[in-house]
Amino acid sequence: MSGGTSEVDLAEGVSHQVAMVMDLNKCVGCQTCTVACKTLWTEGGGREYMYWNNVETKPGEGYPRNWGESGGGWKSAEHGERSPGEIPAQGDYGRAWEFDHEAIMYDGSDEPLRPQGDPTWGPNWDEDRGAGEHPNSYYFYLPRICNHCTHPSCVEACPRKAIYKREEDGIVLIDQERCRGYRYCVEGCPYKKVYYNARTKTSEKCVFCYPRIEGSGPDGETFAPACAEECPPQLRLVGFLDDERGPIYKLVEEYEVALPLHPEYRTEPNVYYIPPFAPPQHSDAGETVDVDRIPREYLEELFGERVHRALDTIQRERERVNLGESSELMDLLTDTNPARKYRLEVFDDA
Amino acid sequence: MREERSAALAAAVLSCLVVVTAAVAPALTSARPANQIPVEEVSGDANPQRPTAEVWTAVPSVDVPLTSAPSGLPNANDTSVETLDVQAARDQRRLYVRVSWKDGTADRNVTGPREFADAVAVQLPVNTSARPPIAMGSTRTPVNVWYWSADGGTEELLAGGPGSTTAFGNATVRTTTTYDDGRWTVVLSRERRVPGPNRTSIGGEDVDVAFAAWNGSNMERSGRKSVSEWYHFPLGPGPQGPPYETILWTVAGLAIVGVALVTITAVRRT
Ligand code: SF4
Ligand code: SF4
Repeated sequence: MSGGTSEVDLAEGVSHQVAMVMDLNKCVGCQTCTVACKTLWTEGGGREYMYWNNVETKPGEGYPRNWGESGGGWKSAEHGERSPGEIPAQGDYGRAWEFDHEAIMYDGSDEPLRPQGDPTWGPNWDEDRGAGEHPNSYYFYLPRICNHCTHPSCVEACPRKAIYKREEDGIVLIDQERCRGYRYCVEGCPYKKVYYNARTKTSEKCVFCYPRIEGSGPDGETFAPACAEECPPQLRLVGFLDDERGPIYKLVEEYEVALPLHPEYRTEPNVYYIPPFAPPQHSDAGETVDVDRIPREYLEELFGERVHRALDTIQRERERVNLGESSELMDLLTDTNPARKYRLEVFDDA
Repeated sequence: MREERSAALAAAVLSCLVVVTAAVAPALTSARPANQIPVEEVSGDANPQRPTAEVWTAVPSVDVPLTSAPSGLPNANDTSVETLDVQAARDQRRLYVRVSWKDGTADRNVTGPREFADAVAVQLPVNTSARPPIAMGSTRTPVNVWYWSADGGTEELLAGGPGSTTAFGNATVRTTTTYDDGRWTVVLSRERRVPGPNRTSIGGEDVDVAFAAWNGSNMERSGRKSVSEWYHFPLGPGPQGPPYETILWTVAGLAIVGVALVTITAVRRT
């Protein structure tokens, strides 16, 4: 708790930065967000294999497989030199699965409904496998979208400046007219959140549902991105990082409990995670022992060393609530009021 | 007497030189000036648009060496096409450029994220009287690019510097291709005069030209490519045109012979 004196780091020329906080303690891995995004943006037309939002099980190799080892991002915090990455192979995304609905549902075939061909990988392929030994095995879900980074290496990688970070809210978009499908952005993004569409010969990515947040729907109302609005346990907060009265600012800048994924890539993501907080381990006799169920070193791999302080802060505040004291942090994390969770109109007259 | 003799000797040597020069010089000039790609006149009936058309056997071919384009892109130096065989021909209306190169894999289909198509491009200055920077021209001196890629696309592009290529709405470039025995051969052609302000007009002037090639299976695309230096099509009335060369050399030769004869006569008379 630094008392609200932090300087918010916005990209040069960007007036406000949209941001999202996801509380991993609430994710049940239902994939509603994945489907909401898929049906809204990536059905058909060469987009079958793409998931702008995907939810993967951790520990696990993710989608695309081993994306964390594919390179990209920046060599140092000065953002002077990129580390060039690799384009994942189709097999590491997996192919879209085909099902013979016709034969099974209508033509009376006895075959079970299962993917045609023999899939070898796909989104959330390692679902619920996790790690650890019974009774202390563990896993958690990690929903991922493009982070709309403050220093996006995808933007820097594009020789045509077809990807840009737009001024009004820092959303990172690909100009489909300028893109010539060179895929340097796909290489350059360390989170592998740009996808190549072989049909249109352009690259495509999460647009943070910008038409929804701009209110270009029928009644001019603004909506948070579909992945956030559709999530049954409502674990996502959406707003602006520089909205000092919003929960995102407080969680990221004041309490420092919402952390970017893989800060060592140095793109400075604007999607933040409340790290998972699992109950401690049990002995074989079923007694609680004072050992973290999810190893701290593993969480540190994902969220950097600041994860220790974040977890300590959350634990301390939980204990306060258990003792009957009030905790602003716990109030923020348990708030269910959509007007406070999605603050998208605060800068409208700016 | 002695002076007279040495003068006669000098005159003899001189006249020998003249004769040798007159004989050899036209042969020397018919060896092509550097970076020139001759443009043969052909008849449209010979179907030069076909890469395998008979007519191409009679058109001289130029070996154009390529090197990796300087560019800040990752692995920019890792390119694989080393030489293009270039031939050019024109008929009444069109200019045909036939480009042929070795590539062990024909990369035609881009169905996955790591697949890239083979491609070749011909670059011409929009304004033929100024030579633009070789890397895609500049805002002041834009270039026209005829771009063929093996996944079925032919594009006519305008560029004013690296990363600025923009496709014309209506491509007027035609391409025909063969892939045979590990070699691509592509004939790119366009009408020599096409209306519109940003298209190179090909006619009464020499036209600079440069080439680029991409090997898809080596993940070459964008600025990761093999490129040539500037060459030129000798289409103008300049001194390098073969008929003018011959005339000029003949005139020069005759003048020298004339001078020599005058000198010899003068020496004899003294
Ligand atoms: S997550 Fe990747 S695609 Fe999204 S802005 Fe950051 S670098 Fe670019
Ligand atoms: S909809 Fe919400 S709970 Fe379900 S997978 Fe997505 S983020 Fe997790």
